Amino acid sequence: MEPVVTPGATGVLVEDVWRSFGDVNALRGMSLTAPYGQVTALVGPNGAGKTTLLLVLATLLRPDRGRALVAGVSPTQDPDVVRSRVGWMPDVFGVYDQLTVGEYLRFFGAAYNLGRAAVAAKVTELLSLVHLSEYIDRPVHVLSRGQKQRLALTRALVHGPRVLLLDEPASGLDPRSRVELRDILRGLAAQGAAVLVSSHILTELEEIADRVVLVAGGATVAEHSMADLRAAANRTYRVRATNGPALADALTHRGTAFSTVDGGAELAAMSEEQAADTLAALVSAGVRVVAFEPLGGNLESVYLALTEERR
Amino acid sequence: MSASHVALVVGQEFRIRLRTGRWRWLLGVWVLLLALFTILLDTGLRTGYGSEEDNSLRGVPLFGFLMCFILGSMLVISPALTSQAVNGDRERGTLATLQVTRLRPLEIATGKLLAAWGVGLVALALSVPFAGYALYRGGIQVERMAVVYGVVALLIGTVCAVSQALSALLARSITSALLSYVVTAALTIGTVIAFGLALPLVSEERQMRAPFGGVEYTYTVQRADQVWWLLAPNPFVILADSAPRVPPRLTREGYEIRWESHDPLSAIGWEVRQLRMPPDYTVEDNGDGIRYYDSEGTEIPPPDELPVWPFGLGFAVLLGVASLAVTSVRLRTPADRLPRGIRVA
Repeated sequence: MEPVVTPGATGVLVEDVWRSFGDVNALRGMSLTAPYGQVTALVGPNGAGKTTLLLVLATLLRPDRGRALVAGVSPTQDPDVVRSRVGWMPDVFGVYDQLTVGEYLRFFGAAYNLGRAAVAAKVTELLSLVHLSEYIDRPVHVLSRGQKQRLALTRALVHGPRVLLLDEPASGLDPRSRVELRDILRGLAAQGAAVLVSSHILTELEEIADRVVLVAGGATVAEHSMADLRAAANRTYRVRATNGPALADALTHRGTAFSTVDGGAELAAMSEEQAADTLAALVSAGVRVVAFEPLGGNLESVYLALTEERR
Repeated sequence: MSASHVALVVGQEFRIRLRTGRWRWLLGVWVLLLALFTILLDTGLRTGYGSEEDNSLRGVPLFGFLMCFILGSMLVISPALTSQAVNGDRERGTLATLQVTRLRPLEIATGKLLAAWGVGLVALALSVPFAGYALYRGGIQVERMAVVYGVVALLIGTVCAVSQALSALLARSITSALLSYVVTAALTIGTVIAFGLALPLVSEERQMRAPFGGVEYTYTVQRADQVWWLLAPNPFVILADSAPRVPPRLTREGYEIRWESHDPLSAIGWEVRQLRMPPDYTVEDNGDGIRYYDSEGTEIPPPDELPVWPFGLGFAVLLGVASLAVTSVRLRTPADRLPRGIRVA
């Protein structure tokens, strides 16, 4: 369990938030915290209420009941203050195709009450951060999908928000851009921002996130820190050695359950501690191990277990 | 509401509009159409106005028909300017990102409206040279021209505002565009139909004894003075009735010409004021000016003093302001309820 965090130190605090659209209950008592200085991943199947929750936090949707605080302020009672402190990037969005990249960002800078000089400096800084500097005077419509995605991230950052809400920010990004997005988000968290990010790309979240909130059916299923998750999860490991039979002998001798796969062995699910013991034993038995790796992510195994239950 | 925020939205909308459509072509076609209309009308009126004296007043009907044509065209153009203002942005996914900025709903609504209205006014301004030609043709005062232009400008704004409110109320831009044309049609044609249908409902039977001891008989009077207001919201009625009168003139025989029958503005204005008069009124001219009496013999104010346009124009302004308010309310976030089939983002 996470320690109880006081509202002052929390970027996002959600307590028992409900919201329905007609007879569809999108949120049924969702709760979570996203502390400053950390990246919190919001993970769940389609229709779990991730987007709806982010809309509530972004001051666009009024919850039916429950309490939410963003940067210490209620998005329903004082939306204007929240807007000045929060950056939101929707999963589906449009850009003004007719504008240039610079015009687009300057418009939003002005819409966030930034002075002309401050906007100009911020635009230069952010465009170089997302590697779009050379596009500043090009029309937005020449950008590729991934570049537009990066531009949208820039828009969400233009007013220097302390809380960042990102809905599927990595969709449509090429591998290089994903790595860069990861670095940007980690950098923002390191500067003290609270980052709440929803995504389906679990392996990637695993690298970005400090904490993970699992949601399903509009409610929170579990909140973990990634470190806890890593320690707790039992995973299968794949081992390769230069001498296959020697590896098999050593494993049999040790009594470890395994199956032979091409070029190595797949070990039955075990904790990280057990895995470390096994590796140490293999090495001390003289097996020349060249690879010892967990299969699948922590998050993925937890997520799959979660969605399995719901079937 | 901050003026700089409104200006920001206006600038943004203008820039986007300017870069999307083929404005130069559209405006070029518009000017060409106006030129064609003016030339043909001018030629047509030349044959109609025979005498030298009448010919010096050719500008009056020329201006009247031209302004009716311009108003009619603007009633067709204006809904298109805003019929996608809100739901179109929502469909394109650019509305929510605007709503999470520091811009307030009224600022967004006003900015969008002003930008659309501005485009309409540019189209209107392009017609000024042709109205100027009517001025040159004679019979029109600059004051009349200024008022008529002011009223058309205001009506463009009203139509834009209504159309924008519909785009904020309805999820799909096709529906709101269609409905805004229905509203325009209701104002122009619907009011006339409503008036026509209401007239028989308010007709009265009256008894009258034929003169010189004749028999008593009944006849029907139509109480247009009870339903004239149905015509008041009609844009053409507003335009015609609000136009300052062309100064009365005398015919060669010395009769005062009360209104210019060739001029649609004068004609419509005169007709709608007649509607406000009680039935069976009588007119007397005893040399000291024309006096009006009702059926009881009491003197009543002349039609000149019974304008219809203040009601129509008041209605138009109210409609415009209410529409802007509706748009603003619909843009308010956090949203409680959403129109069916709408995603916030």
